[in-house]
Amino acid sequence: MSKTFFRHLRALALTAGFIGMLGLAGCGKQEDKPAANADAPAAQAAARVYLVGVESAYAPFSSENEQKEVVGFDIDVMKALAKKIGIEVKFVPTPFEGFFNFLAQGDRDLLISAITITDERKKTVNFSDPYFIATQAIAVPAADTRVHKMADLKPLAVGTQSATSGDELVQQVLGQNNPKIKRFDSTPLALKELESGGVDAVVADEPVVKNYIANNPGSKLRTVNDDSFPKEDYGIAVRKDDPELLARINKGLAEMKADGSFAAISAQYFGK
Amino acid sequence: MDFRWSIIEGYAPLFAKGVLMTFQVSLISIVLGTILGLLIGMLRLSDVTRGLWKWPLRAGRWVAGFYVAFFRGTPLFVQIMLIHFAVMPALVHPQNGLLISGELARIIKQDYGAFLSGTVALSLNAGAYISEIFRAGIQSIERGQSYAAASLGMNYGLTMRYVVLPQAFRRMLPPLGNEAITLLKDSSLVSAIGLAELAYAARTVAGTYARYWEPYITISVIYFAMTICLAMLVARLESKYNAPHRR
Repeated sequence: MSKTFFRHLRALALTAGFIGMLGLAGCGKQEDKPAANADAPAAQAAARVYLVGVESAYAPFSSENEQKEVVGFDIDVMKALAKKIGIEVKFVPTPFEGFFNFLAQGDRDLLISAITITDERKKTVNFSDPYFIATQAIAVPAADTRVHKMADLKPLAVGTQSATSGDELVQQVLGQNNPKIKRFDSTPLALKELESGGVDAVVADEPVVKNYIANNPGSKLRTVNDDSFPKEDYGIAVRKDDPELLARINKGLAEMKADGSFAAISAQYFGK
Repeated sequence: MDFRWSIIEGYAPLFAKGVLMTFQVSLISIVLGTILGLLIGMLRLSDVTRGLWKWPLRAGRWVAGFYVAFFRGTPLFVQIMLIHFAVMPALVHPQNGLLISGELARIIKQDYGAFLSGTVALSLNAGAYISEIFRAGIQSIERGQSYAAASLGMNYGLTMRYVVLPQAFRRMLPPLGNEAITLLKDSSLVSAIGLAELAYAARTVAGTYARYWEPYITISVIYFAMTICLAMLVARLESKYNAPHRR
């Protein structure tokens, strides 16, 4: 053994010990976790608060008011639903990027945020029965004359919100590798880009676009509806390993629709 | 863990264009940032005790100080958002742009809007950090060099150009290389304003399929390869400019 080796022996031993400890701690955690997860639902079912993930930049479905509270159609529906099925909920603003991952990992228990039910998403999460039907709409500058239907968007630069059904639709029409599709973290950002001329059109959920234009008259935008847009169902997302919560939610939704409370909330926001 | 690498294949052209775009944005920002940093760094070190230029220079020094403080003191993400959604629409607008307006503004905004905003934000940010690197490099050259240059009859400009800066440059190469690598990775933030670079491609794939391992590992490998190349380039520059070994 060389003199250099012995000189550094203490440092080497300490490092090896530290790494070993980390490894043991890591292994230990892995073994504890499955056991803990098995106990958790039973213990928590009693009086737990369900964390509901919302993307709070999607008026009129969910947005933040001046008091920094989350409000909107989705919030009211969820609150009424929670009361009906007897659970406590807490709304947590969540970025839409990685939305479903938050649910799948357990950081959220429910997701409600004008989420369109699609087959691709059903691979990751389960959805409740539809609670709202919507379509996409195209937002263009008020002075625009080129866009009358979806196909007219082909040569243009189109903005969307990343990971939404609108994004999927635009990819189908323009091609998924088209560099003229500009994706943003939220729909208001995409609409802002439209206002400043960075894109020629924005494709997003119709109620949200209409709400933005109504509340921002200085934006000088208008909507173009294309009847060929598919009707989309909004659903509440639940983890795949929680079928009983899903059943309770579906029951609650059915009851709300039957006794008119759902219609009341809908009338408040959409007048019908 | 099951990987679905097929989802990357469908978007491969987006990744390829993303690599190119990242490279372009980083290269332009590094070059512009270095030039800006050199000017600002020298400005902050200069002084004139008497004469016509005394007060303009001092005012310029104050502005430079504020610029460096602002761009080092705010997050790059915030700077990118501010410049793209607030500053650029005010300066470049088809109707009432302060700098450029009309048809040219429309074309710029359409095709190059995000690229312009991203490059401007990254250059300004890099300029602030690089100005401090230059300042440190210049100040590390002992005063004897400038005195010797003065004794040979060189003025400030000649001293800087032929004596101080060449020596300082050698000292500044490692931190400059650092800054270049940081800039390359920070360019991923420009994906938030819709520029189709590498991180944008990964976010698109992740958004479409809600799968995160495949796209993000892919771009991690690509970024890693790019930074290794950059580091090797800087190492070669360093060995080229290093003082020759004394035998």
